[in-house]
Amino acid sequence: MPVITLYWDELERLVGADRDTILSRLPMLGCDIERVEDDHIDVEFFPNRPDLYSVEGVARALRGFLGIEKGIKTYFADKGEWKITVEESVLAVRPRIVGCVVKGIEMSDEVIRSLMEVQEDLHWTIGRNRRKMAIGVHDLSKVYFPLRYKAVDASFSFVPLDFDRGMTVAEILKEHPKGKAYSFILEGKDRYPMIVDSKNEVISFPPIINAEKTRVTEKTTDLFIDVTGFDENVDRAIAILACMLADRGGRIERVEVVYPDHVEFTPNLDTKTMEIEVEEVSSLLGFDLTHEEIKDALERMRFSCDILDSKVRVGIPPYRADIMHEWDVIEDVAIGYGYDNIVPEIPKTLTFGQTHPWNEVRGMVKEVMAGLGFLEVITFTLTNENVMYRKMRRKGRAWDDYVPVMHPLTTEHTILRTHLLPKLLELLSYNKHHEMPQKVFEVGDVVVNSENRLHLAACVTHSKANFSEIRSYVQAVMREFDLSWSVEEPEDDAFIDGRRGEIVVDGKRVGVFGEIHPEVLESFELTMPVVAFEVDLSEIFDTGYLL
Amino acid sequence: MLSKIEVILLKSLEAGRSYTPEEASELSGMNKDAVLKAAYLLQEKGYVRVVEKSETEYRLTKEGEKYLKEGLPEEKLVHLVKSGVDNIDELRKTIGKEFQIGLGWLRKKGVAEVKDDKIRLLKEPDFREKEVLRAIKEGEVIEVDKVLERRKLVEKHESKQVFIEVIKKPDIAVQELITDLTPEMLLNGSWKGKEFLKYDISIPSKEIYGGKIHPYERIIEECRKVFLEMGFTEIKGHYVQPAFWNFDALFQPQDHPARDMQDTFYLDRYVELEEDVVERVKKTHENGWKTGSTGWGGQWSLRKAKQLVLRTHTTAITIHYLAENPEPPQKAFCIDRVYRRETIDATHLPEFDQLEGVVLDRDVGFRHLLGLLREFFTKMGFEDVRFRPGYFPYTEPSVEPEVYVEGLGWVELGGAGVFRKEVTEPLGIKGKVLAWGLGIGRLAMLKIGLKDLRRLYLPDLGWLRSMPVVRK
Repeated sequence: MPVITLYWDELERLVGADRDTILSRLPMLGCDIERVEDDHIDVEFFPNRPDLYSVEGVARALRGFLGIEKGIKTYFADKGEWKITVEESVLAVRPRIVGCVVKGIEMSDEVIRSLMEVQEDLHWTIGRNRRKMAIGVHDLSKVYFPLRYKAVDASFSFVPLDFDRGMTVAEILKEHPKGKAYSFILEGKDRYPMIVDSKNEVISFPPIINAEKTRVTEKTTDLFIDVTGFDENVDRAIAILACMLADRGGRIERVEVVYPDHVEFTPNLDTKTMEIEVEEVSSLLGFDLTHEEIKDALERMRFSCDILDSKVRVGIPPYRADIMHEWDVIEDVAIGYGYDNIVPEIPKTLTFGQTHPWNEVRGMVKEVMAGLGFLEVITFTLTNENVMYRKMRRKGRAWDDYVPVMHPLTTEHTILRTHLLPKLLELLSYNKHHEMPQKVFEVGDVVVNSENRLHLAACVTHSKANFSEIRSYVQAVMREFDLSWSVEEPEDDAFIDGRRGEIVVDGKRVGVFGEIHPEVLESFELTMPVVAFEVDLSEIFDTGYLL
Repeated sequence: MLSKIEVILLKSLEAGRSYTPEEASELSGMNKDAVLKAAYLLQEKGYVRVVEKSETEYRLTKEGEKYLKEGLPEEKLVHLVKSGVDNIDELRKTIGKEFQIGLGWLRKKGVAEVKDDKIRLLKEPDFREKEVLRAIKEGEVIEVDKVLERRKLVEKHESKQVFIEVIKKPDIAVQELITDLTPEMLLNGSWKGKEFLKYDISIPSKEIYGGKIHPYERIIEECRKVFLEMGFTEIKGHYVQPAFWNFDALFQPQDHPARDMQDTFYLDRYVELEEDVVERVKKTHENGWKTGSTGWGGQWSLRKAKQLVLRTHTTAITIHYLAENPEPPQKAFCIDRVYRRETIDATHLPEFDQLEGVVLDRDVGFRHLLGLLREFFTKMGFEDVRFRPGYFPYTEPSVEPEVYVEGLGWVELGGAGVFRKEVTEPLGIKGKVLAWGLGIGRLAMLKIGLKDLRRLYLPDLGWLRSMPVVRK
């Protein structure tokens, strides 16, 4: 989530409140204050409120929230003489474009920087790292209208931002820092989107890079902004930018976008309306609010609100990209009302608690094991084939036995565990320096063929650990489980031949025990004998229904 | 107060006598280390003196042995001279390399001189050295002239010997005190009328470590107990889930950053899904279906929903449970492992445990969620709770609860909200769902002062052994 730096002098001036008031109320508007400094604060806003990614947006919201200036703020875009023609060729590549002209902005380094920050934050959130939406900001005086939005091939060339020579599209994608960073978006394409002006000069290669010639400088007073992408996210982004620049004193002018089959005028800064039943507000929030309370709360959140009979009609400003459903508005009623003003109440929902058999079995097993003097441990379920199989002198097959994960972060974590014993041996190897004897157990989930099963494993290590000791424990555990069992010879190379047993209950093989093979000990770098057992509890007990 | 070993030692030795540790060990039946430990303890109490004596012992060298048997070189020389052989060359031929040694000593002692290649005795020599060698050989302790050492005929051996001298025995006759109470004593009643030896109770014994439940599991137990007390049903699900239950059913758009390969562990497997539900969820994503929402727009991909993932939150389980149990009232909770594709550090792990509770009912709302949260946290030991707006993709309204922790101030603990209609309606869930969740690791950090989450899953046995069962 984006962290926005807000400078106190600017914020206090724009809001019209002192910093103590701002600091105490801002979190109740919905954000996390990350850092408070003398000259600024760093605030993390939620991804559903990209309109708060600028000081103008925050000031606008806070003025309403603090009751300084309530109700909707309306924005207008004047008719302009600006036109973009969308050519058929680009529709298959990156089909949507909107534009906006902003006049009379006093540019300074600070304004340029803040505009670039907003642009980046929008790229990340609404734009999904420029995939769904990308913004280009240009010096209007360098752009010759009308513009054409079209697709070109890789040999097309122009001078990109930060370079002083012409480069082909192919070169930009390979050599330009932005080209390298964002080429993944255009991967597999053989046509590339390009915005070209009436002098036949490129102004932008979205979503990668602008042309050098339209660079915004301190001398710039008028801006042209293009937003390209696939869907209504481009409209959301341009509305947020236009409102923000209007708050900074800019005059917004519309751009005519001519598609092969229709025409649009952008940005659309109209207020949308939604009618909401008052009863629905009370129902979702769980308490009755009067029409007036709802109206006051919504106006603090910078909506307009007209009271109808059983409804309210809500005007939604164009920069509110997050309102998909009436509940989104009702949440703002709650925020405007103040979460701290809502009196919590315990619901009357009557149900009776019930444990899950899985954890019933676990609890019982823990009692038995702790009683036998074993220390409970917890280990990761992520592991690798080496620990789970090779070091154990065992074999396992992907999917039949273990689940491999795609794109593992490290070679340590490539599969989910199918057994607990290897994890316990690994654990003992980290604990060799601690006093002997060591007796540990884990009762937890393993995943075999994508399904969870409940296992129990235990290890005993000291200089004289032997088969008869572990058999005693197995006998004790099976006695406590009230199970009659028999032993068979397993073919499990993790144990020493002739010193290993398979636990058989009702003809089912449910576990193994014995002396760990010295070769296994060696691969875990263990220097003391280890005896161990592992039981599949899901085979023995009813461990319940898993979703 | 005497310890057991002290008493045993005192009992087995006699006052006024001196013993080597070996002797004391044999008499007491204790090993030498125990004997010495007891002796030093008794010395502090004035019953025993431990004396270290160093002893010097001489032994004959090989050469010394040879001379004792065959005679000293000068002795051989004198013998020959006396028998008339006095020419140097002839003597050297007869005696060999010892000639030079013998002659040297004769001259040094002023017994003989050499003139015109002949040896002449000046006085009757004495061979005292030989007597000394014999005495050493026979084990007599005598003064030994340094010359013998220099001649490498004897070797000096120094050794330290410890002696335990019993000065006195305690006033109470040691023999009368009972040390170990034995079954025999109980059977024959011989303990009656006797006193028990008083031990030094301040001496620590050896540490023992029993079996116990992991401290983290105790916290989980505490959470389970709270939920069960509040009438919630415990549910459980597989770690491996289709993306559908993990994301799509929760109205997470398919291009949401949390669904990236960067953040989620995907598996290269696809499963079949129930068609009706899928169709409604698809429509909700695309255009809001009948929920009153605009939806996310765009095309919803069935294939993406079918792909298996390691679940990223327990909500994958609670939502599935509600879909299977859509009639209110329902109260369910889940505490279990979840996965995020994160690099390991002190506060981030690729897998961790999460707790989640859901309430489904008709006449409940946001206010009741706050009531549940306050009750839950109070039961968990956090008396002061407050609420801030939050954001989660599948809840509306959303809230971030904060609890007050002494020394830390207000701490954010988990998240909560009312499930969106875009979540509940396509799944046929009737009523409103109040939901909240939190990471157990964070709870552990607050409850047992854990600083590094890795401790939980890569346990150090020393740490586990030292963690008390009782928590203040």
